Amino acid sequence: MDDIIERLPEMLIGAVTTVELTLLALVFGIVLAVPTALARTSRHLAVRAVPYAYIFVFRGSPLLVQMFLLYYGLSQFAWIRESALWPILRQPYWCAVIAFALNTGAYTAEILRGGIQSIPKGEIEAAKACGMSPFLMTRRIVLPRAFRIAWPAYGNEVIFMLKGSALASTITLLDITGMARSIIAENYLALEFFGIAGVLYLLISWAFMRVLRAVEGRLNGHLRPPPEPVKT
Amino acid sequence: MNETNASRAALEVIDLHKRFGNLEVLKGISLTAHTGDVISIIGSSGSGKSTFLRCVNLLESPNGGRIRLDGEELALKDTAQGLVTADSKQLQRLRAGIGFVFQSFNLWPHMTILENIIEAPVHVKGIAKQDAVAAAEALLEKVGLADRRDFYPNHLSGGQQQRAAIARCLAMEPKVLLFDEPTSALDPELVNEVLQVMRGLAEEGRTMLIVTHEMRFAREVSSHIMFLHQGQVEEFGPPSQVFSAPKSERCRQFLENHLN
Repeated sequence: MDDIIERLPEMLIGAVTTVELTLLALVFGIVLAVPTALARTSRHLAVRAVPYAYIFVFRGSPLLVQMFLLYYGLSQFAWIRESALWPILRQPYWCAVIAFALNTGAYTAEILRGGIQSIPKGEIEAAKACGMSPFLMTRRIVLPRAFRIAWPAYGNEVIFMLKGSALASTITLLDITGMARSIIAENYLALEFFGIAGVLYLLISWAFMRVLRAVEGRLNGHLRPPPEPVKT
Repeated sequence: MNETNASRAALEVIDLHKRFGNLEVLKGISLTAHTGDVISIIGSSGSGKSTFLRCVNLLESPNGGRIRLDGEELALKDTAQGLVTADSKQLQRLRAGIGFVFQSFNLWPHMTILENIIEAPVHVKGIAKQDAVAAAEALLEKVGLADRRDFYPNHLSGGQQQRAAIARCLAMEPKVLLFDEPTSALDPELVNEVLQVMRGLAEEGRTMLIVTHEMRFAREVSSHIMFLHQGQVEEFGPPSQVFSAPKSERCRQFLENHLN
C-alpha cells in the first residue's frame, strides 16, 4: 500500500500534464477550426479545396502516425533543425500539442461545418435583408448559431482528445499514461497503477463534461422554458 | 402606372426578369411605389409574386431589370447566377433601408426578442445600445409585445413572432417595407393580430409592398393592387377597380375563388 501512496503525487503531476496537453490542443484546435470550417463552407471551389485537403489528411490517418511524423520526421530536415522554430519542434511536449491541435482542429472543423450548414436558410436571409455585411453576419449570426448547434458533438470531440492525449506517452512525455508506465517499469504494479490512471481519466472527463454541460446551458437559453412575462 | 401621383417614388422596379433554369417566372415586371403607397401583390401560387419581392432586395438574383430605392439605382453586374450586386457596400446600405418580413418570421433563435430587434440598429447602423433599446421598447409596445422582451422566439406563438419580426424591421426605420406572405404560416386565429399591426403601419403612411392571400385585408388597406399571372402583371389599379371591375378575365376568376 505504501508503494502506491508514495507514488500518487507523481500520478497527479501526470494528470496535470494530461489536462495541459488536452486544453492546449483544444484551444489551438478551435482557433484552427473556425477559419477552416468557414472556408469549407465557401461558395468558391478554390477556397473549399485547402481545408478539404487538410481535413482529409488529418482525419484519415492515425493520430499516432501524425505525432511520430512530427517528432521523428521533422528532425530529418536540416533546414528545420536550423530554423527559428527548432527550439519548439525539438521538444516532445510541443510536438504532441501541435499534432493533437492539428488533429482535433480537423475534426472540430467538420463538426462546426455541420453546424454552419444546418442553420436554417431563413435566418441567414434575415441577416442579409437587414443589411449585414458577410463578416458581420458570420460574427453575429453564423458562428454563434453554429457553435450552439454543434456543441453537443463538440463535447464528444473534447472527450476523444482527452483520451487521445495518452498517445503522448509514446514520445517520452509523462502524462497520466506515461507516468503510470514509468512507475510500473520500476515496481511491476501494473493493475494498481493502470487502475489509478483509468480513474484519473474518468475524473477528468467527468469534470470536462460538467464544464461542457454548463456552457451548453448558458448558450441555449432559448431551449429553456420561457420566463415569466415582464410586468408592465 | 401612377404617374399622376406627385409624391416621389420610394421604390422603382423596372422590367424585372427572373428565370429558374428554363422556367421564366418573371417576364418583365415594372412597379413604382410612391411614398405612402400600400401595394398588395396577389395571384395564384407560382405566379411569381414572392420571387418578385425577393428580387427587390436581391435575396434572389434577377436575370434582368433595374431597381431604384429612393432614386438611387442598385448597381448590378451580370454573372452566371444572374444579376448580382456590383457594389456590396451599396447593397448593404440599401437593404438596411428596406424592411423585409418573411413568411416564416426568421427571427434569430439564439437571441431574445429585444436582442433580435436591436441587433441591426446596433451592429449595422452603429446606434448606441441604450438608444436602440429605448427605440426597441417603444416598438414592442406598438406591436403589443412589451411584456415579452426577454423571451426567446420559440417561446412565442407564430403571431407574436411575426409581430416581433415586424418590430425588428421597423427598428431600422426603413423607407420601404416588404411583406412576403406574412400570415401564411400562421394558425387562422393568429392571422388577425398580425394584420392589425400591418393595418396600423399602412395608416401611418408607410410605403409597403405586401404579397398576400388575405384578399379582404388587401382590399381594405391597399392603395393599389397588382395581380400577377404567370410572371406578368395581368391587372393593376386601385382596389375598388381591381376588386369590383377587373379588366382581366383571369383576375376576375382568381378573385371569385379567393373572396369566398
